[in-house]
Amino acid sequence: MDRREFLKKGSVALAGTSGALGLPLLTSCRSQEAHADGPLAGRKWGMVIDLNKCREDCTACVDACRNENNVAYHEDQRWDIHWIRKVTIESKDTSNPIEKSVLLLCNHCENPPCAQVCPVQATYKREDGIVVVDHHRCIGCRYCMIACPYNARFFNYRENPDWPNKEFPKRSHGVAESCTFCAHLVDRGEQPACVAACASAGEGAMAFGNLDDPNSEVSRLIADRPVKRIREDWGTEPKVYYIGL
Amino acid sequence: MKLSNPLRTGNTGRVVALCGLIILLPIGYSAVRALIPQRSEVPQVFLEKPLAAFQDCVEETSYMRVHHMDLLKQLREDVIRDGIRGEVTLEQCARCHTSRERFCDRCHQAANVILDCFGCHYYPEPGSEAQGL
Repeated sequence: MDRREFLKKGSVALAGTSGALGLPLLTSCRSQEAHADGPLAGRKWGMVIDLNKCREDCTACVDACRNENNVAYHEDQRWDIHWIRKVTIESKDTSNPIEKSVLLLCNHCENPPCAQVCPVQATYKREDGIVVVDHHRCIGCRYCMIACPYNARFFNYRENPDWPNKEFPKRSHGVAESCTFCAHLVDRGEQPACVAACASAGEGAMAFGNLDDPNSEVSRLIADRPVKRIREDWGTEPKVYYIGL
Repeated sequence: MKLSNPLRTGNTGRVVALCGLIILLPIGYSAVRALIPQRSEVPQVFLEKPLAAFQDCVEETSYMRVHHMDLLKQLREDVIRDGIRGEVTLEQCARCHTSRERFCDRCHQAANVILDCFGCHYYPEPGSEAQGL
């Protein structure tokens, strides 16, 4: 074997070995994917909000969320955190000015940009589609806040002084957070606090359920009514649908 | 004026004795100190024993003493990542270890390990309705 031949065969053998050895490393990098056989498998939670039924002066969902999830409210908009909030949007068409009150919350995207940019994999999508933050792991870099196109992420600039619901943890100073679809309630088989509050306030504007189940309320609403998601063209595939947007 | 060399002025014996004293002083101190009974250097931490009614912890005491943080981290991963809830809760801990201050905090202070669980998680107090999560 001459020198040229040796180098050729040697490099092929080296590439093959490194590829074979490197493959397990590459696959283990993606071990953060949730377990396919866990209790979360087989569901895809989603929400439908009927804006025609949502009254502008009603804040039942916002208050319920604050009390359930200990969302920090400092009465200062620089530091206030909103897992769900009400905004008023205006039509760009000046000849036909329409104002609408819209509920905004984390859209729990199927392709969550916040989870893609998280450098420590603190933000991730659970097997059932809920996008959550592991606050133990969050380093407070705020990449997710920049990445989120819906401005649904908030940062704890200071410690939350209130703790209305002791059964649910607070978040400490220096971590990012957003709506979790009340994952701790959903895991127990209950509805998220905002949906329950909306129903008990008599509005019934919000529906929550399994998008994979064709017989669930949300699936039927999506099938029967004209629904829209916010900026579907971005390809984030949000799971919060709006009727009358 | 020429300075006189202390070793040549006839007091060599005194200089040698002084040096010897300086060298032997710490050895003598250690020897004397060993004879006098001393109190332990490591302070004994008083930890509240769990209530007698509940002797069964989730794991062996020897395991819990060394590896409770590993157990908590595993539970954390299970709950947050995989949605497996309710295996072990802080409420369960508080049934036996009724006082966080006399159990968790006291040992962590002595070991100088910062305990930041309870900035966010609620440790149930005796008689409280709320269950920590």
